[in-house]
Amino acid sequence: MSVVSMTNVRRLAAGVALVASASGAGAQQPTARIVSAANRFLATLDQQQKGAVSFAFDDDAQRARWSNFPVRMTPRAGLKLGDLSAAQRSAAMSLLSSVLSARGYEKIQQIMDADEVLKTTERNNPMFGRDLYYISFLGTPSETKPWMLQFGGHHLAVNVTIAGEHGVLTPTLTGAQPALYTLAGKTVRPLGRESDKALALLNALDETQRKQAILGYHVGDLVLGPGQDGKTIQPEGLKASAMTERQRAMLLEVIAEWSGIVHESAAAARMAEIKADLGNTWFAWSGPTTATTGQNITAYYRIQGPKLVIEYAPQRLGGDLSMHVHTMYRDPTNDYGRKYTSR
Amino acid sequence: MRAIAVGTAALLLSVASPAFAHRTDEYLQATTIAVEKDRLAVQMRLAPGIEVFPRVLALIDADGDGAVTEGELRAYAQRLTNDLSLSVDGVRLPLRLVSSKMEALEALEDGRGTIQLAFDAAAPRGSGGRRLVFENHHQRPMAEYLVNGLVPRDPAIRLGAQRRNYDQSVYRLDYTQSGAVASTPSDQSWSRMWWWLAVAALIPLTRLTMKVRMGQRRGRLAVVPPREN
Repeated sequence: MSVVSMTNVRRLAAGVALVASASGAGAQQPTARIVSAANRFLATLDQQQKGAVSFAFDDDAQRARWSNFPVRMTPRAGLKLGDLSAAQRSAAMSLLSSVLSARGYEKIQQIMDADEVLKTTERNNPMFGRDLYYISFLGTPSETKPWMLQFGGHHLAVNVTIAGEHGVLTPTLTGAQPALYTLAGKTVRPLGRESDKALALLNALDETQRKQAILGYHVGDLVLGPGQDGKTIQPEGLKASAMTERQRAMLLEVIAEWSGIVHESAAAARMAEIKADLGNTWFAWSGPTTATTGQNITAYYRIQGPKLVIEYAPQRLGGDLSMHVHTMYRDPTNDYGRKYTSR
Repeated sequence: MRAIAVGTAALLLSVASPAFAHRTDEYLQATTIAVEKDRLAVQMRLAPGIEVFPRVLALIDADGDGAVTEGELRAYAQRLTNDLSLSVDGVRLPLRLVSSKMEALEALEDGRGTIQLAFDAAAPRGSGGRRLVFENHHQRPMAEYLVNGLVPRDPAIRLGAQRRNYDQSVYRLDYTQSGAVASTPSDQSWSRMWWWLAVAALIPLTRLTMKVRMGQRRGRLAVVPPREN
């Protein structure tokens, strides 16, 4: 269905090549590798650009300046990809790839591609597109002192706090519209695994468990989306302690779609933390319990543990719930890495 | 009073094509309820979709001048409480408006703005098992309701089961408040009745005690030997 220009495809390919070269940088520790990538990007910028991309680490307004909305509606600050030269843009994407896992980076690229598709199908609407994503730093990239990298735009807000060896991805928002498209002859669902794995888990539950997991009411949107920092809601649904080992493993597979966006060693630490609380983690579902093969679910679901909130919320806008989704990933005890920083 | 001007919203609407970015024909009303020892805090985040925004604006902009004053916003929030109901253990609690904030009209007009209202209510004294019921029927035909209890900071309060009807216009939260013998929410009316009976029984008892004491005092006075001059 989609039409993305060959220029963009080439740009994508160039980005991937850069990622490959960056990942071959050797056996550097993750933080050292990320800081090197950040400094390489900063070295490509002029003074004015450096001023625009850098914020004080204690700039809480910038820290919270993220949204699901397009940047023309909810302005972001930092540097816009579309304003960067090819070399600067490559360095920015290389930095992003060093912070994220390969799958995480691919997901982010697919979300941006979806926005490019939306731009094309919306008669070149200037509100959308791959150029309209912003990068910014809070603090100075360092191997020891905390700092933060933000990258986001429409349907995307990646907030990574780096504090020494720690890499914290929460809060992060992912979304997609269209949530299913074709690029270079390949069908893409940026958040397809989030949909398929959750449905598989639901289908693996027995009747008693399903009664607990399926909420008897409609949930029409994210509860803890943008602007809802610092809130912890009462969990609901089916507790993982009431699941079988296989079901718990499936639950972890769903969770990994968010916890695994960040680079592998940070993702492993995060997953260990989530596993430790797994028995006290809840799975709740609201809406249809089936989906058309190859398409996303049209139901809302939430996974919530002591240190985890994941929400998957299909959106009515555009007419097809399976084609527009917002998701949220939080750690109520450690959003913005506050465990490791004074923020 | 500060007026929030309409400004160039119409022009922005024509430039943007917001139908693909956010809600259109719903009035999202997301409520969180924080249970504290003596107080309940109710926060509402209201987000009208672009198609229903003119109807929502008409509810707020009482004089129809296209701008919303702080007074008009407060008055709207007060009127909105007529569509809300909050009770604990069957006792309906009046909601007090604590704050009201509204983003610029152009933000609301293109579906990305919100209205933030904060209310609170004094929680009736009590302990053990308790039941909170919140109802929101504001603009139901276009409403998309969300309501959730926030995990309390006070360890003496523990939230239990939450129940909602399908559209979340009716919400029930069971919670326990430590400090006394536990009782189920359905026992609360009985607890209250026994309390009042005890008070009623204490009144004549207190009177009787006072009479006896007065009598004793008189008696003591009576037996005081006359002072010798």
